[in-house]
Amino acid sequence: MKLPALLLALAHLHGVLGLWPLPRSLQTGSSALKLASNFDIHVNIAHAPSDLGSAIARTKSFLKNDKLGRLVVGRGTLDSNVVQRAGSLRTLELSLAPGSPVRSITDEARLPIGTRSEEYALHIPADGFTATLTANSTLGLLRGLTTFEQLWYEASGQVYTMETPVSISDSPAYPFRGFMLDTSRNFFPVSDIQRTLDAMSWVKMSQFHWHVTDSQSFPLEVPGFTELASKGAYASSMVYSPQDVQDIVAYAGARGIDVMIEIDTPGHTAIISAAHPEHIACAEASPWTTFANEPPPGQLRLASPATTNFTADLLASVARMFPSSLMSTGGDELNTECYVQDPETQADLKASGRTLEQALDVFTRTTHAAIRAEGKTPAVWEEMVLEHNVTLGNDTVVMVWISSANAAAVAAKNFRIVHGPSDFFYLDCGAGEWVGDDVANSWCDPFKTWQKSYTFDPQANISASQAHLVLGGEQLLWTEQSGPENLDSIVWPRAASSTEVFWSGPGGNSTTALPRLHDLAFRMRQRGVKAIPLQPLWCALREGQCNINS
Amino acid sequence: MKLLALAVLLATAYSPASALWPQPQSLQTGSSTLRLAPGFQITVAGRGVPGDLLAAAGRTKQYLTSDKLGRLVVGRGADDAHTFAAAKTLSRLTLSLEKGASFASITNEAQKAPEERDEAYHLVVPADGSGASITANSTLGLFRGLATFGQLWYEHDNTVYTISAPVTIADKPAYPYRGFMLDTARNYFPVSDIKRTLDAMSWVKINQFHWHVVDSQSFPLEIPGFTDLADKGAYSSSQTYSLADVRDIVSYAGARGIDVMVEIDTPGHTAVIAQAHPDFVACAEATPWASFANEPPAGQLRFVNATVTSYIADLFTAAAKIFPSTLFSTGGDELNTNCYAVDTPTQAALNASGSTLEEALNVFTQKTHQALEAKGKTPVVWEEMVLVHNVTLSKDTPVLVWISSDNVKAVAEAGHKLIHAASDYFYLDCGGGGWVGDFPSGNSWCDPFKTWQRSYSFDPVANLTDAESKLVLGGQHLLWTEQSGPQNLDPVVWPRAASSAELFWTGPGGNISAALPRIHDLAYRFRQRGVNAIALQPEWCALRAGACDIDA
Repeated sequence: MKLPALLLALAHLHGVLGLWPLPRSLQTGSSALKLASNFDIHVNIAHAPSDLGSAIARTKSFLKNDKLGRLVVGRGTLDSNVVQRAGSLRTLELSLAPGSPVRSITDEARLPIGTRSEEYALHIPADGFTATLTANSTLGLLRGLTTFEQLWYEASGQVYTMETPVSISDSPAYPFRGFMLDTSRNFFPVSDIQRTLDAMSWVKMSQFHWHVTDSQSFPLEVPGFTELASKGAYASSMVYSPQDVQDIVAYAGARGIDVMIEIDTPGHTAIISAAHPEHIACAEASPWTTFANEPPPGQLRLASPATTNFTADLLASVARMFPSSLMSTGGDELNTECYVQDPETQADLKASGRTLEQALDVFTRTTHAAIRAEGKTPAVWEEMVLEHNVTLGNDTVVMVWISSANAAAVAAKNFRIVHGPSDFFYLDCGAGEWVGDDVANSWCDPFKTWQKSYTFDPQANISASQAHLVLGGEQLLWTEQSGPENLDSIVWPRAASSTEVFWSGPGGNSTTALPRLHDLAFRMRQRGVKAIPLQPLWCALREGQCNINS
Repeated sequence: MKLLALAVLLATAYSPASALWPQPQSLQTGSSTLRLAPGFQITVAGRGVPGDLLAAAGRTKQYLTSDKLGRLVVGRGADDAHTFAAAKTLSRLTLSLEKGASFASITNEAQKAPEERDEAYHLVVPADGSGASITANSTLGLFRGLATFGQLWYEHDNTVYTISAPVTIADKPAYPYRGFMLDTARNYFPVSDIKRTLDAMSWVKINQFHWHVVDSQSFPLEIPGFTDLADKGAYSSSQTYSLADVRDIVSYAGARGIDVMVEIDTPGHTAVIAQAHPDFVACAEATPWASFANEPPAGQLRFVNATVTSYIADLFTAAAKIFPSTLFSTGGDELNTNCYAVDTPTQAALNASGSTLEEALNVFTQKTHQALEAKGKTPVVWEEMVLVHNVTLSKDTPVLVWISSDNVKAVAEAGHKLIHAASDYFYLDCGGGGWVGDFPSGNSWCDPFKTWQRSYSFDPVANLTDAESKLVLGGQHLLWTEQSGPQNLDPVVWPRAASSAELFWTGPGGNISAALPRIHDLAYRFRQRGVNAIALQPEWCALRAGACDIDA
């Protein structure tokens, strides 16, 4: 009895379906079904929001333009006989469950993390009768549309699937499924960010973590603080204006993505000295290795009341530009030697009678109070909990980055966690040292393959009583060695790996995931995102034949 | 005195004012600003100027106006503007051959045997606005000078200028073979990607495109008389290189001073030939692949079979006709003997002939190489043919060292000319993680990633005697494409592959701190010309030479 069940399970997993992330409940048949030439998507919702209409239009466009051949030898040409005789699907009907509120995708996506409704049910009969997509929210409908789009292939001018009937009931394992982009080390035009948001939405990511500024450049034009960008951006053409921010936030929202902005403080702020030298200690001091983990050094004079108020006002102004309920204030890699050698900081500490840690506590409480007054929940990097002695609100979200081994310690302090550990999720690792006059290796070598991140266990060493603290996770691109030139090729399809971990849940089999990830990468290319090959095409067309033991 | 000298040296080394790549052998620059006149012209002295030289001059002129590269300093050149008004303007660059030299096309000069190519040139750009000149013994030398000239200029506020006039350069390559290898069999690359790569190669004076066109995964090359191989072995009918494509690529390369050495890898790496000729291939797609090959799919030519040997000799002859280069690589790497041990036809043929596998390999190699030599080609092989196998090779057969730089000495001791292609310095694919399936802990076999600094520090004559050093033809970066396609071709290759281009042009021993600002400059110029060279550092560092060094 046991053996046939196992075989059945394997047969299911070896299906040709290229869904990514894998739905949590999926039943498929083996009948072909083609899209009717007059196929349409109907919305059974009164006063449907316009961003749902736009999402439907995008889905219809993908169905027509993906033109993805199945990843088998012949690319689906052998399917045409079966497809000719298959039924035709004329309609996909979208509806909300009775009693569901009718809000825009954008509004649903920006609800506080943990309160968003992303579940949906999708049914496609094999006989060509109407397919249905139902959800409790427009955000759930968007997630379902994303799934629907991934079901179809093209050969000989027909758009078809080989596996109807399809019955899916789906919901995410974790609410925070993110991607972080650093736009400070190197600048990325708005169009690159928008293309990335598109790709993120295709794999149901919910959170764009925008590390917009750092010590190298300040490309964000903040109302009331425009001198920071005018003096700190790489060039006047390399800034994000308030209009750019609105465009990005709206583009993301319409795709079910919330934008969590990060203004990293009090470290990683050297560039603020270009406009406000009075606020920055050890600005561009040398040797930089004494004062920072990378050049240029420079940190906010956190013991200065004037600097603290400046930062609080700055963060409040940034908060008003972003509708998300989350905002990151950073807090990583604070260098104490910088303050030891800064006469102004030492004078401030002396005047107030505080230690540096006590001053950091005041700074953090003041700046967090400022963004809380704007309705934001702060997010911080792990050091603020594990290394420093600062008072944080219980609802503060803590991002683990140094090592996956540190997640348990954060959980033990009862803080909510976003996983972003360098040993699993850093996309920049493995490309060699970038500091000049050095032939060393990447500090977080080796390269993190999609297989590596796919094996991540979000609950490792976290007790059952603290399991609820895990909000999810994200893959991250620090851009010392990246720019628009290699954005797609570094990020995709690798960043899709964690999104399946956090949507479908951990424990996935990387062997059965590989053909689906190939499928995703090929579909992304059809849509203009330069996802790289994971293997020779020979392997991509022959499932399982390039495994280590095949 | 010593401190001052050091300070001057550093100032020169870090000066972003002249960012030539590869660095010329002899370079003198001044500190005057010189502007390019709006009607700037490039003329070629003499009669019978070949068309590809005129086309090259046209491209240079185009770059001068379209590069629009701001100098890599804070302000991107805004601080230079005050010198523009007083600066002289340059109206003309004249190209001329040295006395006694006669015109031949760049293409013909580039397609000579490596040691016979003359790439030397002199470039003079006076500061007073009088005409600039490039002189050389060959059009290929003039072309190299044009590539240098094209790197001298920056743009600010619609003024194209240099701040380092006068410029006097006497230049020639340290090594005659400076290459780049692309594998178009693991994953396919459209002709346009190859052409863009050839353009980028020519900008850094690379003179050899090593085209690893076929392998076990796919056979995209349409060879006259052997088109069944591509018909059945290409990934699809749209993923082939037709005869017209080959001619297009070869002439595009030639006009850019690049010779194309094709490689038909034999007798291993040939599984896909089984699609058209199953009888010719042993252990085709046999499992477990790990027993029969270093990567899937398994499959090697039945070289003991005289019919297969004749077939390959004929195939080489046909392929040789469509590539004008004097060089032709027959491969010879990673031969798996277990494949033949379990192959019944091979064992039967060995029994019938009474020869060993190695003896049969010797016959196969001699016959296939003779076929090429009859067409005027010099065969080129991977190192195993010298270090692992006992085959008779002509001493002038160049050997590609790939497994390890440690193997260079042994190849030289065997008396063979050699081309550096060591995985521990020049493999561009290393460090991308394992790609074999069902192996989550798998790392890149040649981890770590080879940075540009790593390849830049390579010594081409390490451990070699003076006599052995003369056997070094040069070297190349290589891209094996298990994890590459058109999507990441530029980012994986550029600017890293420029590292070996300077090593083998300028000679080894370059200083990586001094090179960094120049390679930044190159990468930024590449981007302006449409090649997606990646960022090596944050732009903050790129605009501040030396500020991001480890001890800065």
